[in-house]
Amino acid sequence: MPSEKIILHIDFNSFFASVEQQANPFLRGKAIAVAGKGKEAIDVHSIEKKGTRVRVDTLPYMRSVITTASREAKAQGVKTAMATWEARRILPSLLIIPGDPRKYSEISSRLMAILRRYADAVEQFSVDEAFADITCASGGDYFGATLLGERIRADIKRECGAYCTASIGIANNRLLAKLASESFKPNGFTVVPPEDAEAFAASRPLQDFCGIGPRMVKRLESLGVTSIETLRSFPLSRLTHEFKSYGQFLFDAAHGRGSDLVSDDARDPKSVGHSYTFPFNLLSHEEVRKNLLSLADRVASRMRKHGFASTHLTAYVRYDDFSGTGAAKKFKEPISDGLEILKNALVLLRPFLEVDRGIRLLGVTASGLTKLEGGLPLLQKEAKTHSALRSLDKVTARYGTGTWQRASTLTTDFKERTSGWHYDHET
Amino acid sequence: MHEFLNDPVDVAVDFSGLKVRPQRVRWGNHTYDIQKTNLVHGAREGTKRIFYFSVSDDANFMKLRLDTETLEWRLVEVYAV
Repeated sequence: MPSEKIILHIDFNSFFASVEQQANPFLRGKAIAVAGKGKEAIDVHSIEKKGTRVRVDTLPYMRSVITTASREAKAQGVKTAMATWEARRILPSLLIIPGDPRKYSEISSRLMAILRRYADAVEQFSVDEAFADITCASGGDYFGATLLGERIRADIKRECGAYCTASIGIANNRLLAKLASESFKPNGFTVVPPEDAEAFAASRPLQDFCGIGPRMVKRLESLGVTSIETLRSFPLSRLTHEFKSYGQFLFDAAHGRGSDLVSDDARDPKSVGHSYTFPFNLLSHEEVRKNLLSLADRVASRMRKHGFASTHLTAYVRYDDFSGTGAAKKFKEPISDGLEILKNALVLLRPFLEVDRGIRLLGVTASGLTKLEGGLPLLQKEAKTHSALRSLDKVTARYGTGTWQRASTLTTDFKERTSGWHYDHET
Repeated sequence: MHEFLNDPVDVAVDFSGLKVRPQRVRWGNHTYDIQKTNLVHGAREGTKRIFYFSVSDDANFMKLRLDTETLEWRLVEVYAV
């Protein structure tokens, strides 16, 4: 067993946009962007039920953001998380495409399957990036690691498509492997052997390090730290005095050191939440109630699907002027019914809800998750609700999400979002 | 023109091992010879398995939906140059 680990980090380039360009060759070489409101809900309901058609160039993308820009769009100034109106102002010829989460989910799964084929352990870091421990698989040396990386790239090309390129970084820890993969895009391959680790870390700007965000960069600058070189010369004692345990992280990062632990253990979720930005402001309590109930049902349904109930609920609201507020509550008895979640969310929000100000976003998050008990509740009314929910969950499992809806929410229509990733269309 | 729709279509396919590849699509009065299958992806709707085929010829992109329960094909997306 080699004494030092070899970690590979892989990151798809312009993921959603590249998948769209892989699927549709006429989008290749063009400045395109994938926007937040997904196509499943934009068109499917009206197209399937009413036989209508939706032209992509007529979609309004109200209050939507760019989730991914193609490399051609990035070259012309379009950035991720930019508002769609802003992106169109910068680049009027930009083709905006509604996201297709099912497609991205499958390509993401294929990447993970390829990595698991070769690596000792794989940890998915986000939908389009992952860490892999390839210490044993590579034979413990960087020549073997480079060959393995090339095989992974060849497999991606064959199984995901030639247009779905990824950047790879290989180093002796996660921090450097990620830094390496992000140092050369698109389709980069950067190997940092241990003897080059310090020099490589010094060659990168502070903000390129995972864990050093724009606000931290500003704080460091106010202390006179503007580069990795100056961070290295900053005493560890002052760093820990200023930033507590994070100071140690900064000190290690400056020397190219970091964790080499890649864990492929599936972890239970800590919370389940949904928020939604409405295309138009909500202006009445009735609208708030209906939309909150739909969100609560989604949260509850996801919890029950994974066998959880919640003991902690947070509800929040954002107004038209982007100010917002929220409140949280703990329960003695765990809840997993959408109606119960709604009732509690309303109690939380009611004291400060000002519908006259126009509500642009509502959100509900259930945390403090505990495993659902299998038995029926003792009270007759609760037992009936429990039984009905179990039947509804069976209907969802058989026919899919959206098969049933509470009568009071029939006029509520959420558009699926790619920015929040999807949850109810497993491949 | 880039459009989402849900039109029933007739599709002639090629079987190769476990793989299915659309070869020809009849949509309304037109027949399109598929030149390339660019991407195939699956999805679940409850227990139902759905496959999507992103295919193209020289001038058109089409996304075809195959319902494996009813074996029905639908054209769900079109992009014409």
